[in-house]
Order: sequence, then structure tokens, then C-alpha cells
Amino acid sequence: MITYLATAAAEQPGAFEAIKTSFDFGGWYFVAQVINFFIVIFILKKFAFGPIQNMLEQRRARIAEGEEKLKQIEQQLAASEQTTAAAIAKANEEAIRLVNEAKQGATAFTEQKAREAIAQAQQILTNAEAAAKADRERLGMELKREFGRLVAATTAQVTGKVLTADDQQRINEDVLVKIEG
Amino acid sequence: MRAVSGMTRRPFILILIGWLISLTPVLASGEGLPLYAERLWDALPITNSMVMVWLAVGLIILFCQAATRKMALVPAGLQNFAEWTVESLYDFLGGLLGERLNKRVFWFHGSVFLLILVNNYVGLIPGVGTIGWHTVDGTGHHGFLPLLRGGNADLNMTAAMALTFALLWFYWAITENGLKRFFAHLFAPKGEFKGVMLMFMLPVFLFVGVLEVISIAIRPIALTFRLFGNIYGGEQTLEKVMSLVPKPLAFLPALPFYFLELLVGLIQALVFMLLCAVFLKLICDHGDEEHH
Repeated sequence: MITYLATAAAEQPGAFEAIKTSFDFGGWYFVAQVINFFIVIFILKKFAFGPIQNMLEQRRARIAEGEEKLKQIEQQLAASEQTTAAAIAKANEEAIRLVNEAKQGATAFTEQKAREAIAQAQQILTNAEAAAKADRERLGMELKREFGRLVAATTAQVTGKVLTADDQQRINEDVLVKIEG
Repeated sequence: MRAVSGMTRRPFILILIGWLISLTPVLASGEGLPLYAERLWDALPITNSMVMVWLAVGLIILFCQAATRKMALVPAGLQNFAEWTVESLYDFLGGLLGERLNKRVFWFHGSVFLLILVNNYVGLIPGVGTIGWHTVDGTGHHGFLPLLRGGNADLNMTAAMALTFALLWFYWAITENGLKRFFAHLFAPKGEFKGVMLMFMLPVFLFVGVLEVISIAIRPIALTFRLFGNIYGGEQTLEKVMSLVPKPLAFLPALPFYFLELLVGLIQALVFMLLCAVFLKLICDHGDEEHH
């Protein structure tokens, strides 16, 4: 194969010369185009690919940073939700305990107040009964006195006899026995 | 109503483009374009193809300036387009070369792609290859000297890119593999051979290595002529099909080929860049795996 290629090259020694002439290849024109190409490479690398790739890299970094922050925020949110749930559960428990305590307290207070009210009512009743009894006794005494006075006055007018204190006392007691009996 | 006007506007634009393409072939010789880029002035060694490359370079510089003047984290307008282009190319090549190698060599492949693409497209601007001067040489032979030629229709330009790549290929291959592994990659037996088998396989792989060296030597030549041939062939096709019909109708047969050339311009830029990337990957493959 190598021998074949070498022979082929040897048989056509002017191949490169022919290309050079036909295409006007080489020399200054080739150098000039190489220079043109290097200018383009330099310009694109410095003013296009460099800044654009930097910008893309910056944006990629920002997106990664943003995603990282988002992850952190999600974690914080989850932790916060857990904390909140725990706090709410604790608050619920506390509230239930307080309500129960309040209920118990209220029941005790109600009972105490009821007892006090009953005691006060009893007291009022007792006082009222005592007052009523005193009134009745007072009225009874006044009635006796009035009745004795009326009996003595009536007897004195009918019989013309002036009753003694003993008579009046005896008549009053007889009448009272009959009234009360 | 709007749809109807859109329908009528499109063929009008196509006809206008075609007419522009064929505006100046009346000036052309009709003998086809020469294989070489012609020198414009005797005093200066400047060819019409060089002027076209400068125009392409100028356009690239203007675009880079405009796109990167006020870079912002939230891109808009030209910056957005430039970023999309660079990022798409970078990701595309990254899939082929691997992240680490791509980061190292992207500037070359990206530059090659953009320069070839812009060169190919500015070469399709109506008037390129068709506006020029009629000449008569000493023997009375009539010729035509176009003012502008497609940048890649000059073998010097395609060879400049291909040979630059060949030199860089050696540099990257040796720095990635090391000199010893570079030669081992070419000539050493691949696989686990021992004893007599190794003795038998050594000359085989040595021969394969020689073939590989020949293949490597041919690569820049193939790159050079592939790109040149496609672009020169496209120019010639446009020129020839326009001369098949009367001059007022010259735009008609050229029109489909013009759109074909738009496609060829992109494909050839991609092919050149991809082949460069594949050639590099082939030699750096071992080294890249090692680094991973």
C-alpha cells in the first residue's frame, strides 16, 4: 500500500505544482488568509465567546445559587411548618388543659356560689321568720293591749264599774286564749 | 384580506431576489468563474476573495460589538441571539467532545463555524461573482474579473483554516495525551495481547499506524477541497443555470439553486466544524476517558 502510494506520488511529481497554478494557491495569498483567519479567531474569542460564555457562566451560577437558596427556603419552610405544627399542637393541649381547668374552676365556683346563695337564702329566710315572729308577737301584744283597753272601756260603760288592773289582766288573758285557741 | 396580501407579497419578494441575483450577469463573461481568486490591483497583492473575507470579518466584528456592548444578566435583542448561537454551538459540541475538551477548544470550532457560515452567506449576496470588469489579455482572450468572490471559493482561505486546524490538532493531541501516549495511540496494539500473539500483532498495528498517519495527513487536504469544492460548485451552478435562459429570465432557473446554496452554506459550515471536532475527539478520546 505504502509502496503504491509512494509510486503514485513519484509518477505525478507536478501534482502540487498543478494545484498551485490552477488554484493560485500558496504564497502571500495563503499567508494573508491565515492572518484573516487568526484575526477572526482572536476577535471572536476576545469579544464574542469570552464575554458571552462568562455571561452564560454567571447566569448558570446565579441559577444554581437561586436553586440552592430555594432548596434552603423549602427546608426552612418545612422546618417552620413542623415547628408551627408542634407549637399549634402544644397550644391546643394547653388550651384544652386551660379550658378543662376553667371548667373545673367554674364548676367549683358555681357550687361555692350556689352554696353561698343557699346559705344567704337560709339566712334571709331565718331572719325573715324571726322578723315575722317578732312582728306577730308585737302585734299580739298590741292587740292584747288594745283588746284589754276596749274590754275595760266597754265594761265600764255597760256596767259603770271601773275595772281594776287585775280584772283587766284576767279578762285579757281569757280573751286571748279564746282568740288564739 | 391580510392573508391574501401575505400570499401575494411572498412570491414578489422571491422574484425580487431572483431578479437581483440575475441583475448583473450581463456583465459576466458566461465562461464560468475561474478556479482561483483574482488579484484586483497589480500594485497590491489583494484578491477579490480577500475583500470578501474582510467584509465577512467586518460583519462579525460589528455583530460582536453590538451584541456584547451592554451585556445584561437578562438578555435582550442581539445579545439574546448571540447567546443563543454560542450556547447552542457550545452544547452541540459539548455532546461530541465532552465538557472538559470542549471548554478548551470551543473558541476554535465556534470561530470556524461562524466564519465559514458568514463567508458562505455574504458570498450569496447578489452581485458577488457577477459584478466586475471585462478584460482582454495580451493574446486577445476575453475574460471577466469579478469585483468580489465568495471567501470560501478561494482555496487559500479553506486551506488556511484546514492547516491551522491541523497544527492545533497536533498541539491538542499531544497536550491531552502526552507524547508517549500520542504515539501509542497511533501505533501500539489495541487490546490485551501476550506472547506470540503480541509478536504477530505488533507489525499489524504498526502498519495500521502508518495508514492512520496517512489518513491524518490527508484530513486537512480533504477539509480544504471539500469546502472549496462545494462553494465553488455552488457559484458555478448559479452562474451556469443563469446562462441557460434569455437574460431577462435569468433569475428563474437560479432561484431554486439560490435557496439550495443557502442550505449548503449552513451544512458546509457544520460539516467543517463537525469534522474538526470528530478528528480531535478520535485522538483525544483515550485521554478524555482517563481524566474522567
